[in-house]
Amino acid sequence: MISIENLTKRFDTAFAVEDVSLTVPEGGFLVLLGPSGCGKSTMLRMLAGLEGPSSGAIRFGGRVVADGRMSMPPEKRGAGLVFQSYALWPHMTVAGNVDWPLKVGHVQDRATLVAEALKMMGLGALAERYPSEISGGQQQRVALARMIAARPKYMLFDEPLSNLDATLRVEMRHEIARIHRMTGATAVYVTHDQTEAMTLASHVAVMRAGRVEQFGTPEDLLARPASSFVAGFVGTPPANLIPVRDGAWFARLPDAALRGATGHAMVRAEDLSLADPGPRTVQAELVEAIPMVGRRLVTVRADGMRLSVVAPAFGALPDVLHVALPAAPAAIFDSEGKPV
Amino acid sequence: MTIFPRGFGLTLGVLALLAALVAAPLATILLDTAGSPAWREVLGSNLSRNLTWVPLKNTMILGLATALGSVLIGGFLAWLVVMTDVPFRRTLGVLATLPFMIPSFATALAWGSLFRNSRAGGSIGMLEGWGMSVPDWLAWGMVPTAFVLISQYFALAFTVVAASLASLNGDVVEAGQMAGASRRRIVFGIVLPMVTPALLAGGSLAFAAGVSNFAAPALLGLPVRMQTLSTRLFGMVEIGQTERGYILAMLLIVVSAVFLGAGNRLLAGRRSFATIGGKGARAKRMTLGGARGPLCALALAVCFITTVLPIILLAAASLAPQGSALFSNWTLHFWVGVSDPAFARGQAGIFRNPQLMTALWMTLALGVGVAVVSVLIGLLAAVVLNGKRIPVLTEAVSQLAFLPMLLPGIAFGAAYIALYGAPIGPLPALYGTPWLLALALVAATLPFAVQTGRATVAQISGDVDEAARMTGAGFVRRLFAITLPLASKGMIAGALLAFVNVIGDLAIVVLLYTPQVPVLSVLSYRYASDGFHQFANAVTLVILLISVLATVLANALKGRGK
Repeated sequence: MISIENLTKRFDTAFAVEDVSLTVPEGGFLVLLGPSGCGKSTMLRMLAGLEGPSSGAIRFGGRVVADGRMSMPPEKRGAGLVFQSYALWPHMTVAGNVDWPLKVGHVQDRATLVAEALKMMGLGALAERYPSEISGGQQQRVALARMIAARPKYMLFDEPLSNLDATLRVEMRHEIARIHRMTGATAVYVTHDQTEAMTLASHVAVMRAGRVEQFGTPEDLLARPASSFVAGFVGTPPANLIPVRDGAWFARLPDAALRGATGHAMVRAEDLSLADPGPRTVQAELVEAIPMVGRRLVTVRADGMRLSVVAPAFGALPDVLHVALPAAPAAIFDSEGKPV
Repeated sequence: MTIFPRGFGLTLGVLALLAALVAAPLATILLDTAGSPAWREVLGSNLSRNLTWVPLKNTMILGLATALGSVLIGGFLAWLVVMTDVPFRRTLGVLATLPFMIPSFATALAWGSLFRNSRAGGSIGMLEGWGMSVPDWLAWGMVPTAFVLISQYFALAFTVVAASLASLNGDVVEAGQMAGASRRRIVFGIVLPMVTPALLAGGSLAFAAGVSNFAAPALLGLPVRMQTLSTRLFGMVEIGQTERGYILAMLLIVVSAVFLGAGNRLLAGRRSFATIGGKGARAKRMTLGGARGPLCALALAVCFITTVLPIILLAAASLAPQGSALFSNWTLHFWVGVSDPAFARGQAGIFRNPQLMTALWMTLALGVGVAVVSVLIGLLAAVVLNGKRIPVLTEAVSQLAFLPMLLPGIAFGAAYIALYGAPIGPLPALYGTPWLLALALVAATLPFAVQTGRATVAQISGDVDEAARMTGAGFVRRLFAITLPLASKGMIAGALLAFVNVIGDLAIVVLLYTPQVPVLSVLSYRYASDGFHQFANAVTLVILLISVLATVLANALKGRGK
């Protein structure tokens, strides 16, 4: 179990992380999700023990590992970290990279642990190579093997897939999910890619400007986004946020379902449809259409903003379309982004 | 012609050119001495102790001292600039590379103007002028020579080590911290092993440069009969013992090439520190705390003493009639004075000396001519290297183009005399003509020119050119609208740096020089050997000034190029 209470990190005067509290159960998979500069990497570095918090506390399994006064060194926490750059030691072989942390930690029976970790990551044949002699995907596997060899109870990942190409990224995502299932360790994973977050996580903390915007399961985030920021950030594609003013779509189509709100109405792509012109339609121009799971995801431009609409897979798409609004939006947010 | 692959003619042409410039002279010294009794005289007779072994010993000592001193100073500066929060980091980084620009005879002359004592006759330096007694070991021989070489070549070590340290990103160290390794263990287990190849490579580069140097041991060692391989080989060729000279040249090539080769292997080895896995966190700078000020002062002092102070001393010494009083009674006589029997044995100022004016124009013409020709050949060679590989031939072009990097300048000069000093068939002997110097200098600057050419070709041959082809632009149109505008800045910058190398060179030209083809560097050396230090200093300053202008221009072009 990892529990974080009122965690705050200040650099000089600026807050990198501000008053964050959350708890992940044993064996859970927490993803810290947010745009760059939101404080997610600082959070992870505090969990790893590479930075100390300014105030608040971090508990690993009930034991305080860091608070405003002390920060337990990394190796005492039973945590392993995979770096975005892999941080392999270029002067050691693949096996040497996996072995060195065990050697430093005076672990017994290192050879077996190294062999197991290499086998688990499919690296057996590359054990004697140097990092400069293997591919980027293989280097990533070595970084993972190095972490799991020590059997950490807590596995930390700092944007581990962002240096890989699209195909490898999917493959390594599956590997990380597999490792998590096999080891049963508690994982914390930093990313700005919501697909990674939604597929890997048991819990997601969406971060923005040093604060947690929403903490919950992936289903929570999709079904009940806590703010317009979350609503517009998660989902494939993310939900449409249609501007509303005084209870009128686009400030010109009044609708009682909007309850007189001013701000944004959240409408999922599947709740919009293409239709003939009518009182509840807006005119739009076609931007693009992508075939997807037997249907078509159509992107259109209406009133200067892009909307995603799910449409049938077949039939011609004219350049000018009409989008039918739903009977009611999935959620309404005020101009501050708070739910109404 | 269809039996030959495309580009066959060009490859063959470039290969022939390189053979004439590089391979033939080397082959000549080998053939000229094959079976000669000189081998026994040099290596296994009662002469060989003084002829070979003592100079070899001195050469090795100087090489090792240069390597050690350069790695210590260059490594220290690199660590300070790259890894710590020392103030004026950027300035220090620039200052540490300045010695590349200063010819070593400038530093050697400056040393003399400060420490010269009366042992070798002639005027004394400033310290003795103040009434201090300068011991021989400080005025002449090993210590001052090593100092001059280190103050010149620490820049090599700095460049290599700084590049390696910069690639050591913070993640690699933090990964060690995650494993629970102590600070000490991280330094010895991770940081040092990662920079060791660079330290050794920097050391071997400095070693090779140190053993190849001619000016420093010639100006500071010869007056007290301290011989190195380079001065000995110079002496042998000068007195007509050319075969012995050629053998010494080959020995010098072997010594220098072995270490350079070892250094290159270290840098390219399988444990090379080339960045793994792309971007990582920016390394955290080490906070120096209270040591910040003193360390910065120390670094600035090192840079000041090795680059700025020599220039100030040279300038003062070119104006002071008495070497013993550098900062009094300044006069412009040594620059522009008319001949006066009461002054400097009737020598006129350098700008009234017709030989100097000839030398100035000759040097500039050689510099420009060599730079242009060399960059053009480099471009052709780069096209060949970049094109379709032809078995054996392409590889030969590559090897020959980079071979001069392994060759000490003075040994190269000796090889040129051996081949082109005498008539070849119907071709006249080139000795005594500027052509001999030009050919040797072109060959010596080739590795650098090919490097420049490769960068240029890489820029031209890619998508950029194809994008222009898609528009239907013809070859000539693309050449003038795309290729030349893109390539010109890099090529001009490359040519300017080649120019700086040429006008500051002494080692190659000192053997090829004749009074009919005077060049500034040899003139300065001659003045200094004859005891006319002020004139030597003035001529050296002229060279320095031209070098600085050209370097600044090259940097300005490079800066705007990207």
